[in-house]
Amino acid sequence: MDDDLPTDFQVIVVGTGMVESIVAAACSRIHKNVLHLDSSDHYGGLWASYNFDGLQKFIKEVTSDPKKQVQVYNLIEQWYIEKESPPEEEKKDGEAEDGKTEPPKKIWSQANFASEYRKFNIDMTPKLLFSRGPLVELLISSNIARYAEFRCVTRVLTWLNDRLMPVPCSRADVFATEAVSIVEKRMLMKMLTSIVGYNEEEMNNEFKDWNDKTFKEYLTHKGLTPNLIHYVLFAIAGGTDDMPCLEGVKECKKFLMSLGRYGNTPFLWPMYGSGELPQCFCRLCAVFGGVYCLNRPIDTVATKTVDEGKTVVVIESKSKTLNCDHLVIGINECPKDLVSPEPAESCDISKAVFITNGTIMKSEKEPLTLLRFPPLIEGGGAVTVLEVGPATGSCPKGLFVVYFITNKVTDAETDLKPYAEKIFDMSGGDQTVESEKPKCLWSLFYNVKDTSAPVESAVPSVHVCSGPDAGLDFDRAVDQAEQIFKKICPGEEFLPRAPDPEEIVFEDDVTHGPEFQREQEDEADGDTPKE
Amino acid sequence: MEDYKFLFKVVLVGNAGVGKTCLVRRFTQGLFPPGQGATIGVDFMIKTVEVDGEKVKLQIWDTAGQERFRSITQSYYRSAHALILVYDISCQPTFDCLPDWLREIEEYANNKVLRILVGNKTDREDREIPKHIGEDFAQRHGMYFLETSAKEAENVERLFMEIAVELMEQAKCKELPKYDGSLGPINGKTTSVGDSSCCLRS
Repeated sequence: MDDDLPTDFQVIVVGTGMVESIVAAACSRIHKNVLHLDSSDHYGGLWASYNFDGLQKFIKEVTSDPKKQVQVYNLIEQWYIEKESPPEEEKKDGEAEDGKTEPPKKIWSQANFASEYRKFNIDMTPKLLFSRGPLVELLISSNIARYAEFRCVTRVLTWLNDRLMPVPCSRADVFATEAVSIVEKRMLMKMLTSIVGYNEEEMNNEFKDWNDKTFKEYLTHKGLTPNLIHYVLFAIAGGTDDMPCLEGVKECKKFLMSLGRYGNTPFLWPMYGSGELPQCFCRLCAVFGGVYCLNRPIDTVATKTVDEGKTVVVIESKSKTLNCDHLVIGINECPKDLVSPEPAESCDISKAVFITNGTIMKSEKEPLTLLRFPPLIEGGGAVTVLEVGPATGSCPKGLFVVYFITNKVTDAETDLKPYAEKIFDMSGGDQTVESEKPKCLWSLFYNVKDTSAPVESAVPSVHVCSGPDAGLDFDRAVDQAEQIFKKICPGEEFLPRAPDPEEIVFEDDVTHGPEFQREQEDEADGDTPKE
Repeated sequence: MEDYKFLFKVVLVGNAGVGKTCLVRRFTQGLFPPGQGATIGVDFMIKTVEVDGEKVKLQIWDTAGQERFRSITQSYYRSAHALILVYDISCQPTFDCLPDWLREIEEYANNKVLRILVGNKTDREDREIPKHIGEDFAQRHGMYFLETSAKEAENVERLFMEIAVELMEQAKCKELPKYDGSLGPINGKTTSVGDSSCCLRS
């Protein structure tokens, strides 16, 4: 079948990560002839979501292939439950639709995970969308939103005075919360209002003297109580003690501006995981004629100058030669000699995934939680935690998937385990025991090389896409994709709205229509089958 | 709100060239599109039909050509209520690939999705797969079975109508795959599918 693959394209995209996929969609949308390849058998690269089986394969692949460990390393997978269920605990179908009567707590075994593997969607790069952030706006304006579904993050938590505390996000929350006094409420509202008014161009009076100071100093200066400073600095701005003031203001503003659009918090989570999002862009690319080919590694990349001084990028893949005017390639797929200069050493990312048998903080409805820890380790950064449940399509009923992300200091396990122990019971043992903390049933720690810094290529017609960053949202990826698109297609619109199905006019109907329309009438008259 | 009571997502899969797009366009537009080009620009098509006096809107999704090199996005299968697996009765390889397709369906589609096996191109003289072979295969894998000709408009209407009837039946018994409660599409359009409680309450 591979022999059918055409060889000449305007744009070839290698890798199906977020940036690559957005660029592919944008080029195809304005009718560039696009080929999109990935060396593996699934979409997303480091941005992928895996079911439990796929995740096991991924772990095996990484641990057995030293080449892969350039990107992902220090993998530690651990079970906290038995291999097999005891026979009398024969599980019921986990999909019982009516969860009204609370069933006795299920005892999970490794075998249960294996048999329900399809119900897991575990993200390698879990991220949220700001309700009014660039990705949401792009999904809507381009009509790609129709390929995805979302859930609202239901609450933002922080770790304060050695326990989990809900963070009041909205105006209503601020007034409803009992954790904050009336005086504090007024103070907080005033401060938040002035942040919403912050504008970079005007550099209005409020912030003009704060350029070289920290956000914490500003908040202290405003007379906020320590609790309020904690909420604003750690939970809303996602910062640390040394966060520069203007950065903190910007982060706060982003948070505040996204409130009130979809839910109680400013955030959305993609159904079935973040790995769905690159695929939505790929779908659009394909709808506009982009050619897709997974399982297609590339061997070499070279350039050659043809007549008129035009440069063509030549790719060898499975003993086939592919030519294109522009190559868009993920940093992890890109031959080193095309990258110039070598990206500077950066701080890598520590990540962890936990599967637990309950939420970290009970709530009436199934929660979807963003938890932000302030640094608890000397020299460490803030830790972002996302807890998602079965309603997001991430796991079977009765379980939660919890992601931890921080900048690497030592290694993923050392960096993150102390935080996990604060909110999970990691001792294994009896799962039916009612306790405050959910039981951790399975965990995975790993480090990811930070390849998120923009990289220039040595060749103008080769465009290198960064890998995932440690940030909470997709904004950097969207921004980079647009920059790359503008280089390839200067002056063209970035992902104009795709027509709705009702608006599509089929031109070929005009020329050949009549002959077949008669048949349509036949069909409408009576359903007589023809011989 | 648009005027329909049920909205179902139907997706088509199967090898390139078996006539998926033709089936969709025959049903939604009453046309048999000439030419064998890959499916460009077609995302999904919509047709509203009437079952027992109730309006049922079918949203029928095509593969956008991604099946050509076996590269369909798994998100394509999400939230589908019915899945039509198509082969060409005059082309053995398209039938031989069915187990591969089933594996992919098992992996990504909801396990309650309604599955229909369709042998298309009954208008062809050079049949390679006898009808009973198709029937057997469908039966073994718990699928409905129908042979169609998009070109001759044979059984096409019936295929989609039976799907509409069956899905409505299931919806009334609440046996439909559940995709409830998500925020749905963020653009606020009514492309969100299925048995959100407002659709089901009669």
